[in-house]
Amino acid sequence: MIPSRHRRITLFSRPLLFLSALLLSGCSTVSYRLFHPADSIASVEWHYTIVDVVVMLLITLPITFMIALFMWRYSKKRNAAYDPNWSHSLGLELLMWGVPFIVVVVLGYYSYQSAMLVNPYAPTVLKSAEADAPLQVDVVTTDWQWVFIYPQQGIATIDDLVVPQGRAVNLRLTSTSVVNDFFIPQVAPMIDVMPGMRTKDAFEVNHAGNYEGYSADFSGAGFSWMQFSTRIVSPVDFDAWVKQTQASPAKLGYAQFRQLAQPTVNVGAKPAYFSGVDADLFNQVYNAALHGTVYPVPAEVPIPVPAKTAAAQAGSAHS
Amino acid sequence: MLVHVPGPWSPLFGRLTLDSIPYSNPIIIFAFAFSVIAGLLVLVPVVYYRKIGYLFREWLTTVDHKKIGIIYILLGLVMMFRGFVDGMMIRTQQVMADGPHSGGVLGAAHGYLPPEHFDQIYSSHGTLMIIFAVTPILTGLGNIIVPLQIGARDMAFPMMNAISLWLTTVGAMLVMASLFIGDFSTAGWVGLAPLTEVSYSPSVGVDYWLWAIQISSIGTTLNSINMIATIVGMRAPGMRWDRLPIFTWTTLSTNIIGLTSFPILGVALALLGADRYLGTHFFTAGLGGDLMLYTNLFWIWGHPEVYFLVLPAFGIISEVIPTFAEKPLFGYITMVAATFAIAGISWLVWLHHFFTMGAGPYVNTFFSVATMLVGIPTGVKVFNWVFTLYRGRLTFTAPMLWAVGALFLLLIGGVTGMMLAIPAVNYTVHNSVFVIAHFHCMVLLIAYSIFAATGYWFPKVFGFRLDERSGKAFFYTFSLGTAVLFIAMFALGFMGETRRLDYLYNTQWMPALVVEEIGIGFYTLSCYYFAKMLYVSIRDRVKNRVGADAWGTSRTLEWLTHSPVPFYNFAVTPQVNTRDELSWRYANKVADVQPDHFEAFHMPNNTVVPLLIGILGFGFGFGMVWRIWWMAGFSLLAIIAVVIYRSFARDKGYILTAEALAKLESANKPLGVVAETQYLSESNTSHMAEAEAH
Repeated sequence: MIPSRHRRITLFSRPLLFLSALLLSGCSTVSYRLFHPADSIASVEWHYTIVDVVVMLLITLPITFMIALFMWRYSKKRNAAYDPNWSHSLGLELLMWGVPFIVVVVLGYYSYQSAMLVNPYAPTVLKSAEADAPLQVDVVTTDWQWVFIYPQQGIATIDDLVVPQGRAVNLRLTSTSVVNDFFIPQVAPMIDVMPGMRTKDAFEVNHAGNYEGYSADFSGAGFSWMQFSTRIVSPVDFDAWVKQTQASPAKLGYAQFRQLAQPTVNVGAKPAYFSGVDADLFNQVYNAALHGTVYPVPAEVPIPVPAKTAAAQAGSAHS
Repeated sequence: MLVHVPGPWSPLFGRLTLDSIPYSNPIIIFAFAFSVIAGLLVLVPVVYYRKIGYLFREWLTTVDHKKIGIIYILLGLVMMFRGFVDGMMIRTQQVMADGPHSGGVLGAAHGYLPPEHFDQIYSSHGTLMIIFAVTPILTGLGNIIVPLQIGARDMAFPMMNAISLWLTTVGAMLVMASLFIGDFSTAGWVGLAPLTEVSYSPSVGVDYWLWAIQISSIGTTLNSINMIATIVGMRAPGMRWDRLPIFTWTTLSTNIIGLTSFPILGVALALLGADRYLGTHFFTAGLGGDLMLYTNLFWIWGHPEVYFLVLPAFGIISEVIPTFAEKPLFGYITMVAATFAIAGISWLVWLHHFFTMGAGPYVNTFFSVATMLVGIPTGVKVFNWVFTLYRGRLTFTAPMLWAVGALFLLLIGGVTGMMLAIPAVNYTVHNSVFVIAHFHCMVLLIAYSIFAATGYWFPKVFGFRLDERSGKAFFYTFSLGTAVLFIAMFALGFMGETRRLDYLYNTQWMPALVVEEIGIGFYTLSCYYFAKMLYVSIRDRVKNRVGADAWGTSRTLEWLTHSPVPFYNFAVTPQVNTRDELSWRYANKVADVQPDHFEAFHMPNNTVVPLLIGILGFGFGFGMVWRIWWMAGFSLLAIIAVVIYRSFARDKGYILTAEALAKLESANKPLGVVAETQYLSESNTSHMAEAEAH
């Protein structure tokens, strides 16, 4: 007769198998983004994640096993050895405090090492790889779009970050309104984007590719639509793209920027391109925030319904 | 001087208008109908059985720590249920709103909740669960058990205890009011600046959140003073510090954290309130403000706060495991040392909540190492629990299952916490659902220990055991939900999903989101088993009646007195001889010894003052939220007047005479919490005397 606890375990094993198959179905594709670093910085982050997990599992797996073993072995029904007076052991105490302490020293050293390597302000992992002068990109978040300004090229984009491969990219970031978080999984370390403050970030990708970036810090009603595409292209393609954007009819002076920075939900994260951009636009935004410029958000922000959903809703209203 | 807020304002009603009531929102209408029906289901029997007087005399005006604790726990459980419904709504929205082609109903572009509504739901989920569910339940448990464990008759300040209770209830009622009148904060339970400034949160939502937390924090701080004074000053003779039960030790360290950290939250919210009401610039982006200051102040409170929640949970596990392993707790002195080490180090780690804010590698490394150091005493606790199991005689009652389940959750939470403690790793998972899964493992371990404590101490308070079969079914379904939901959430964290999204743009996440929804389904099923457990237990209460020691293998002082505990706790204050006093008495065959005579002692009277302060506190909070200045001002002045009036009061309580005590002790009728203490005055008036007023 299977004990009731074991019966429950076999009862759940089939659905659990199904669930784990469902979860692992994405393993073969790149959907587990954090497992697939695309540049040296993300590789460092991934490397230290593995190190940390392995070290911790060295301690926690034996404990987990011990708990399961003791639960089974010392169950009252099994009549195993019973020692009600054993409640202290100096040797075990020294081990319990000592071994984790050594582990923390080791992990602490790894923590320091990795913090220097992927420091957003000056990642030491990049210094060695630098050959070209880095590309400067200024990032400004509004409610709720990403504006990428290329001060050296005099162009700007909305929700589209285009950079050449094999060249370090230095970012300066600020916000017009509330705090956001610059995040491109697989590519760049996260850094907060704050109004009236300037932060920095840096990365360098050696292979062409397309990635997605977004804000990781809640910023209001349009937050869910704050994605931006990140395109790593060859240097030739990059120069061509810059020339093409410099010929763009749309201009972005500070007055137009102020218009752009009004609360806008960019459903679908549609990109836009501007030429004739003031190299000093970033500083103007920063100084304006410092002197009290705000972009108040109304209590209700209308979300433009995407055309397809509107048609579907209209269709269902008729049926 | 007063900051201008958008929208109408009138001197009589402040910002309140008929439009503040969301009568066009079908979800809120449903919630309102549900709440009204639930309220009527409670109120109608009370009126029908003519129990309003009883309710007022025995519960609403009580100063008895056990009744106060029970009301705390009931409040917490109801708020936990609402918080759970919020969580269910979050999960359902996310599974429905995945991808640009996902449909929208009820006026939402995707899913069924427009962003403003969704944002309020996750904000209230966090606020309710942390501040109004877990905190009241743990406070209630401490209230009931600690005086019993140290052999005292009540807390050091019984009336202040009741004031703490009603102030906490006021905070919860403000959050409930925000559901039906106005709206709640959309900025999360943390409420980072400048999102919570008037420019970016112009409605009353943030004000509701601010005053709910501010008012209940006063209650929590007063409770901390009370607990510390009780533990330090009211221990039974012989209860030396090295004999104190471990749950009392953890309660002491918890309340030291509480007393010292809650004022910081008060300051942070007061400064934010000044920004929102007086137009100052403490946390605005410009004009001299520093938004980082809010983040730092909030988390300087916020990290000790989570230890404020988890240390009592550790204390509960430390009581339950020895009882059901029939062994003393392994390494008692180290456990106490580890508790205070955790409490102390918890002050040094707050920056790990915002490694990405750009503090630089040196500062980040300091806080990283400090965070990892806190894992050492926590690990010591886990080892000690495991060694308590070793060579014990384990019985797997429902409380024991919950305690061991908490242990497994602590291990997973610990590993993922150590991952988050390293800045380089943190830069990839900050604010992602990986962090959410990590801290839910931790708060779920607190929930597990709450359920363990409820099952463990229920027989002590009410005199009968909870039904084991449905209790275990509750445990298994709840644990299944936990496993399914959070494994999927960790996976989503590695897939790069961030938090607080009402619309998800990545359709690759759909399988994992469906798995999470299945997890919520198991949680919902577990609610049924919880209700069933209560129903069956109450139905079978005579069959499951227990004596003083409900489990037979209990070790601490609270199991010495009757079950249910009479209103005076102990007829004679026990003399304590050792740690684990009851086990010692069993071993030396003196557990059944009875007192040879009784002595009179003093008991406090019930009073309506705490309830009055609570009602006026609600008036103050509501008035401040809606900027109804006359209501807020009048309430505040009235509170001050009531307190001054009470300080002149001649009511010094009453003396319970030795004869009355002997009669109560020998009577067959159980004297527990639901009994009428009026029963005493009706039949024993000649034996009780009012204390002389000086």
